[in-house]
Amino acid sequence: MNRRLSSHVTPYLLILPAVLLTLLFVYGVANGILQGFGIIPYLGLTTPTLDYYRAAFTRSDLSLSILYTFYLALSSSVLATLGGVALSAAITRVNMGRKGQLMGIQIPLMTSHAIVALFIISLFSGSGLVARLLYAGGLIDSMQSFPTVLGATSGWGIILVYLWKEIPFVAFCTVTLMSHMGDRYAEAAACLGASPLRTFFSVTLPLCKRTIAKAFLIVFAFAFGAYEVPFLLGATLPKALPVLAYVEFQKPDLANHAYAMALCGIMAGICIIVAIVYFQIMRRERKRPL
Amino acid sequence: METKNGVFFSRRTFIALAGIAGCTALTSGSLVGCGSGKENVPAVAAFDPADWDALLEEANGQTVTFYGWGGDENRNEWLDTVVAETLKDKYGITLERVPMNINDILTKLSGEIQADVADGSIDFIWINGENFYSAKDNGYLYGPFTEYLPNFVSYVDAASAEVSYDFGEPVEGYEAPYGKAQMLLWVDAAKTPDMPTDAEKFLAFCKEHPGQVTYPAAGDFTGTAFISCLIAAVIGKEEFEKLTKIEADIDKIKEIIEPGLEYLRSLNPYLWQEGKTFPADSGTVSQMFADGELVLNMGYSTPQLDMDNGVIPATVRPFLLDNGTVGNTNFMAIAKNASHKAAAMVAINEILSPEIQASQYEMLTTITVLDTDKLDSEQKAAFDDVVLGDGSLPLDEMLSKRIAEASGVAVPLIEELWTNEVVGK
Repeated sequence: MNRRLSSHVTPYLLILPAVLLTLLFVYGVANGILQGFGIIPYLGLTTPTLDYYRAAFTRSDLSLSILYTFYLALSSSVLATLGGVALSAAITRVNMGRKGQLMGIQIPLMTSHAIVALFIISLFSGSGLVARLLYAGGLIDSMQSFPTVLGATSGWGIILVYLWKEIPFVAFCTVTLMSHMGDRYAEAAACLGASPLRTFFSVTLPLCKRTIAKAFLIVFAFAFGAYEVPFLLGATLPKALPVLAYVEFQKPDLANHAYAMALCGIMAGICIIVAIVYFQIMRRERKRPL
Repeated sequence: METKNGVFFSRRTFIALAGIAGCTALTSGSLVGCGSGKENVPAVAAFDPADWDALLEEANGQTVTFYGWGGDENRNEWLDTVVAETLKDKYGITLERVPMNINDILTKLSGEIQADVADGSIDFIWINGENFYSAKDNGYLYGPFTEYLPNFVSYVDAASAEVSYDFGEPVEGYEAPYGKAQMLLWVDAAKTPDMPTDAEKFLAFCKEHPGQVTYPAAGDFTGTAFISCLIAAVIGKEEFEKLTKIEADIDKIKEIIEPGLEYLRSLNPYLWQEGKTFPADSGTVSQMFADGELVLNMGYSTPQLDMDNGVIPATVRPFLLDNGTVGNTNFMAIAKNASHKAAAMVAINEILSPEIQASQYEMLTTITVLDTDKLDSEQKAAFDDVVLGDGSLPLDEMLSKRIAEASGVAVPLIEELWTNEVVGK
């Protein structure tokens, strides 16, 4: 580091914002976990109890909700990873420069999920733009015969929103690394006579594996825990787990906060298990030579 | 980012940046409620609700916040113009309307009270039903206060069931009535001239227009009320009103409404998406009706204003079910830690004046909460002179077909029964 900054205080100051934000995060999570165990002092609830978890686990619609959430999170994260890697490779390959990256990556990253969900509704609802165009063009007999995106149990609208946002996110995570690979290893491979496709699959992709896996995990955890898109586009039944928690949290009986937090606890538990599995795989990978 | 490129900031910039970040974290920390200690919330100094003149004096110059659902543009405009201007001119009070969903308001209020914020940001709230029950039960409301309001004492029948009870919960002076609402249904008479006014006709109507009828899912305010109307259409008004005074026993409730649930299931095959899924909120249903995707809509306010604004055709006509439709009173309550209790009381009192109530009826067709027998002939004439458009129904017709809403404890259980036994069945 620069010698002029060798003061002992500086590193601590540098880390201070991060520490404060982390403390805030830990406070929020701890508060949520405590509430899930029925500790909400301002409502006069102070005895720890497992009742809320018991109630959550015995809910008839819980298992269906968990499966549905898994389905949404897994399909969007797998597709987003594939698409993101392809986008990243395309950007690297054609050397799109700043403008290309802006259009392909930064604009989608800046748009909020709720806005994208509204795009999708105005495009693909039963009276949306696409239905109107198809009807006007005589391709469907009535606007009702268009498969509306609203409330579709297959969740294709939800997945579409996530893809629109997360493909650029995965690309954002990998594009820098990938273009640097291109500079050195890929050039070496090319000199040794590998085709561009071969270079990509045998050299670039294995080198980016860890970053891609990390991006996949982030996308999965996000899609598993975010409520606004399934709330806006999802079906009445089954409801995604975060929507279930949100509905319970919004009930006027404030003691229901505990129940909602128990549902969030289940959600967090599942995400933690996925993260542990990920780190196990990574550790094994690291022991192996590349 | 900064160190990576070899760029560094001066020490001063570091400190400033860290300081800003720290302050941000701290303030957001206090917002989410890091408050500690259990001091009592101090009341506004020398606040005596019984001394009306002193109250008027204190309220002068205050800015009072009115939190409530902001989804009705016409009501928003009425509050921002008629009510706000009257308060400003007569009492020097500035009305600040804060649109927010009631659940978020209660979460915010509980957060502030949890953090012992004495000068709360919420002064008075548009509230009713289970939310009132929850807020009162948790001690989040100031009161009782209605007995100190001159207009409440002079013009409101405090003993009537619709003022003294709110979804089965005794009001006990913790909220003052604001308006009475009643569920209406409407169709475009140019497209579908026959109005399905009972359960049998409604089923036939759905069969005739497959995929073009639906209603908001239970849990949405309008959705739950419409489901109640159809249940009442099947089991009758008397049987349904048993739900206004019932304990939270899902089996007992199910026993009463089972024929209604059976009927709702029989509708499903002919509904939008074959009843496998329902729109999550009434706004979506209204949008779909306006777009022509649906042929029927319903709501607590008349379609009159949407007709006038050209959002829906002028040929739309409202109707009631023969067995009646559910109605309720909505109220205004004052937050326990409100910073401007005096201004809140003056504002609530003014909203209960015959003039504002008549204006509310004229502009929003909201049924008045005043006892018309207590008004003098001139005040009464202000109501009688209101010319209703084609999108509204006369007051006496509505009141003659009015069913009391299920109690606050029964509502979530009805919603649960609908979710488990009607959707997709």
